[in-house]
Amino acid sequence: MVLAKATEVVLVERPPSRAWLVGLIAWLVPGAGHAMQGRWIRAAILGGAVYTAFISGLAMGGHLFILKSDGQSSALYQLPPMIANLGAGLLYLICWFLDTGFADDAVNAARATYEYGNTFLLIAGLLNYLAMLDAFDIAAGRKE
Amino acid sequence: MRHFLVMTAFAVLAAVVFGTVAKETKSDRLSYGLKVFLEFLIIGLALAWVLYFIP
Repeated sequence: MVLAKATEVVLVERPPSRAWLVGLIAWLVPGAGHAMQGRWIRAAILGGAVYTAFISGLAMGGHLFILKSDGQSSALYQLPPMIANLGAGLLYLICWFLDTGFADDAVNAARATYEYGNTFLLIAGLLNYLAMLDAFDIAAGRKE
Repeated sequence: MRHFLVMTAFAVLAAVVFGTVAKETKSDRLSYGLKVFLEFLIIGLALAWVLYFIP
């Protein structure tokens, strides 16, 4: 009786360093990750969706989150929505530098579209994370 | 009406991105995007009705 021992070798291919650069740029500037790979239509669609969501969110009176206590609750409660907002990359950073969109005042909160604005700002970041991963996968050769 | 329009805009944006990144062929992307859009819309309306009856 012969016992055969099968050895499974799993090859894990590391993504090239360019893929990390594409991922970083895709996060910073929505749509740019696809654009630098010549995927112009995809860049326009994905970037357009993220910019539309972000600008609409601000226009609807939504506010961006930052790691800061509001006096009633811990600053840690702001962390998950801040991570979602940060997905918008430079859009979030520009607002941070200009101190625009962070005010959570009573005037904005009274608007009917206030919560929608918050949601749009959150999904702008989350959708850009998806776009970033897509650009990374394309650059790494995992996706067409 | 405004709430419905904003919800529809949300569904369109999410469906466009989901459809673009999820599938390989153009027809698959289109049908998946449409499916996601309708799911957002129908589930949103269903939740709105459920929440209407909850005080």
